[in-house]
Amino acid sequence: MATLRSVGTLAGFIAIIATFWVLLPETFITPRNLLNVSQQISMLAVVAFTMTIVMAMNDFDLSVGSLASLSGVVAAVLFTHDVSIPLAITAALLVGLAGGLLNGWLVSYIGILPFVATLGTLTIYSGAAFLVSGGKTVFGRDIPAAFGGFSRNGIPLDTLGLEKLKIPSLSILALLVLLGTWYLLEKRIFGRHLYVIGNNKEAAHVAGIKVKRLKLIAFALTGLGASIAGLMLASRVASANPTQGAGLMLDAIAAVFLGMSLHRSGEPHVLATLVGVLMLGLLDNGLTQLSVDSYFREILVGVILLIAVGFSALSNKNN
Amino acid sequence: MNRQKISWLAALALLISPLVANAAGKVAVITPYLAQPGTQFYVEGFEAAAKDYEWDVNVIDTQGDVAAVISRIEDAVTQQVDAIVINVDPAQIAAGLAAASDAGIPVVGMDSGSDPMLVTNITSNGYAMAAETTSYVVNRLNGTGKVVMFVFDAFPPVQARGVIADAIFANTPDIEVIERITPDVQDGGIADSRAQMEALLAANPDEGSINAVWAAWDQPALGALQAIEAADRGDEGIVIVGMDANPQARDAIKAGGNFEASMAQDFMGIGSTAASVVARVLSGEDIKVPVIYVPTKLITQSNVDQ
Repeated sequence: MATLRSVGTLAGFIAIIATFWVLLPETFITPRNLLNVSQQISMLAVVAFTMTIVMAMNDFDLSVGSLASLSGVVAAVLFTHDVSIPLAITAALLVGLAGGLLNGWLVSYIGILPFVATLGTLTIYSGAAFLVSGGKTVFGRDIPAAFGGFSRNGIPLDTLGLEKLKIPSLSILALLVLLGTWYLLEKRIFGRHLYVIGNNKEAAHVAGIKVKRLKLIAFALTGLGASIAGLMLASRVASANPTQGAGLMLDAIAAVFLGMSLHRSGEPHVLATLVGVLMLGLLDNGLTQLSVDSYFREILVGVILLIAVGFSALSNKNN
Repeated sequence: MNRQKISWLAALALLISPLVANAAGKVAVITPYLAQPGTQFYVEGFEAAAKDYEWDVNVIDTQGDVAAVISRIEDAVTQQVDAIVINVDPAQIAAGLAAASDAGIPVVGMDSGSDPMLVTNITSNGYAMAAETTSYVVNRLNGTGKVVMFVFDAFPPVQARGVIADAIFANTPDIEVIERITPDVQDGGIADSRAQMEALLAANPDEGSINAVWAAWDQPALGALQAIEAADRGDEGIVIVGMDANPQARDAIKAGGNFEASMAQDFMGIGSTAASVVARVLSGEDIKVPVIYVPTKLITQSNVDQ
């Protein structure tokens, strides 16, 4: 039964791809479309990858969406004051890091439940985003062309015979975050300790793991990831407004849960999160191409999430 | 168990397949603002007209998410739709417009702002709307009287309205603009307009010292109306005009008090015109004008119910 979980969601993932491939034989599995999808999911992917870090400890972070908005808005408002691109990006990343540190401090040192702590900071960061931007969208000439241009550039694939195609910069950035997160969680003692905390906090204490400090660092990394995603989003739309990251949070948590249902141990692992993100992204892309009502997509995502997690729960019970 | 799961997904696939239409002309309508009343009317108008053209219309609402509009435009391009219609600021979705342009797929804007990458943008003419309400005031006063203006020059579409009113009042020798007020709009525009109007009424206590209020949109007009009624000066015949004909303004006009006129945009007409523009583009016509205006209508007590 233990293998069910590891194979079940994967079978579902393959079934989704197969369905679209059959219904859209000419436009779904093509280099152009897949590169498109990789760009479309890149922002969600970065949030979901770094969300995996706190979820490895059995915690989660509700504030990522508003922190992404805040970071984007901070960079954009700095642009309106003629601050250089590197400086504005650095400031926005520091905002994300600080926001994450505050989350970690509230959870680990003050001892507030992550749900409540990050619900509180969600509201704070969202309010701050409105305050910084004055509630307005910053766009147009205020956004430097090079900043908006970044998301439209990439590595050309002409040499591979793929004329006019390129690997989008945003996809490359997401890949780098994936590699970094994978290395931290799977290859470093830091990651192993997070999973130990997730399995049993008391045992982690007894084993001499510095639980509080690790939690602080984990939440800081998740906050940093949110700000990276916020900047990517601002570059993609060449503008920033105080709510544009709001949709990222629930989708990111859904992606991690989809990934967890994939893994034998039920733990969140970042490569499995990638499969979750791909499922959500390919569904959006395929259903749009099939002209399926956009509201129906939401229902379908919920159904798939429940099926995947439901199967995990059933297999646990049977064990 | 795995098989059971796969059959679940197969069932889902079957569930989707009847929703997948198969018409000759495919048009994607993409907007983040479908929850807003104006946008709903644009889309309704578009869909009604599209029925006559027998297109397969896919309306995609990204629920406030502008980045998702880019993604969905890319998907529509991949899907090789025949045309895309948007209702969102084109400056924010340049990446999507570029993808459509590369693929040679025309994109038409419904009240979205002008952009070189759009075939054209269909909207209402703010200049013409302002000319109508300003002429109404001039005619009602028989070309003589003192006027209070409520303007908002920081927002370009509203600034354009004020410019026209300025010109028409200036061109009427016996009209005197005694105040040109920019209300604080943070509270929605009614409350501060009311306060400013109350101050003006106090400063001009004599009957006939103020003959009309020209407002560049409905909220200040409603604020001025409240001030005039609160000061018990509703029977002096002060003429108030607004613009946009929002429901509250329509109620005030219907009541037959000082608030006499406003301008209604034809949202359904913007949608149906967008459809006819798409039809023209699909038949190979080259649309030369970057903006197409849909006529607006002066709303007074006589036609407020229509």
